[in-house]
Amino acid sequence: MILIVCIDDRKGMMFNQRRQSQDKILREDMINQCRNGKLYMNEYSFSMFGECTDAVIIAAEDFLNQAGENDYCFVENQEISGYLVDINKIILYHWNRRYPADTYFNIDVTDGNWKRETSEIFTGSSHDKITREVYKKIK
Amino acid sequence: MSDKKIKFLVLIVCCMFLTGCTDFVSKEKTQKEQELINLEDIPDYMGEPYVELNGNKPEFSESDFTEESFEIYSDLDQLDRCGTAYANVGTDLMPVEERGSIGKIKPSGWHTVKYDNVDGKYLYNRCHLIGYQLSGENANEKNLITGTRYMNVDGMLPFENMVADYVKETGNHVLYRVTPVFEGDDLLAKGVQMEAMSVEDKGQGVFFHVFIYNVQPGISIDYATGESSLDKQDFNKSSLADEQVEIRGNSRSKIYHCPGQAAYEEMEDSKYLVIFSSEQEAENAGYRKAKR
Repeated sequence: MILIVCIDDRKGMMFNQRRQSQDKILREDMINQCRNGKLYMNEYSFSMFGECTDAVIIAAEDFLNQAGENDYCFVENQEISGYLVDINKIILYHWNRRYPADTYFNIDVTDGNWKRETSEIFTGSSHDKITREVYKKIK
Repeated sequence: MSDKKIKFLVLIVCCMFLTGCTDFVSKEKTQKEQELINLEDIPDYMGEPYVELNGNKPEFSESDFTEESFEIYSDLDQLDRCGTAYANVGTDLMPVEERGSIGKIKPSGWHTVKYDNVDGKYLYNRCHLIGYQLSGENANEKNLITGTRYMNVDGMLPFENMVADYVKETGNHVLYRVTPVFEGDDLLAKGVQMEAMSVEDKGQGVFFHVFIYNVQPGISIDYATGESSLDKQDFNKSSLADEQVEIRGNSRSKIYHCPGQAAYEEMEDSKYLVIFSSEQEAENAGYRKAKR
């Protein structure tokens, strides 16, 4: 599967069971990144995508079990440590800001198992600078 | 009397009634006694900038939930200390201009002091209770306290960011209350209590209640006065920079004055006062030094 995650400057993802941040432009970018496959997420995440009416999104609580090798999985509030072997690519969005956090992204993309393929910066709707990095598993 | 006239009179009476209600609600909020937290219940600082209070649940009154923005600041007390700042943050409160100068405000416990082991050198910042990005308040003395760089940047700012992003992205409101917590007659707050809850979605977007410590790792602080010193164990690792004096600039004449110069004391109350931390900073801003 291709994992999609948004993180802050300290790899935080959530605080008190709420997402740290959101951005309309980022969501559009995410949809564009997933044009060649299915985009999976749970209902919590799907509730944000109301404006993306033309996108094909599959919302299910057990989507990490359903997704195939080339499917995209947007994860906000779910544990992913049990799916590490299934992840072959990671799309990592950086907010480039700092938020409170109690849930963190726990994959170390600098541990030698991942190779950064691309890194692009764009302006969001409420964020001056969002960075999108794509990492491919090499080991 | 025609139907049109009757409708008009009814409309006028309704407007008067609604205006009166708004005043009443605002007054009630202004006078609302914020339940103060007991510092004895707050654990000592253990390396994290904040601790959660009340299971991270804010304690707003049901009657405060409204889809109209507001902001209320407490009067300074007899020691010139800030009290609770309370807002219902909406996009209409947010600033549309760059932040202005706040250097002329001297919150209680204020000292201009630098240390080599502090990010940006300056130990203290003028910390907005309701962050500028949320309410657009500049030099409002009822909204600025003396806070460490650590409390400002590592403690309060991440929470402000979370609220600001949510409001900008959804157009919703967030009830947001910040209360500086002083012990006795201390001039420096021990920390701030921060509560927030998104209104339209009943807290699904934003929901927290925390205490943020007004501490600076490596620095000892006397909260009674705001005086500070390097922690003993850090004394040999980092040298204390001399307490800094203010350089006072005149924004109209673009001339700056150093301590001891003729107009230095007069400048303190000038409406054109701009404070710099060094002569170099003043010169970089295009100011020149007074001749006497």
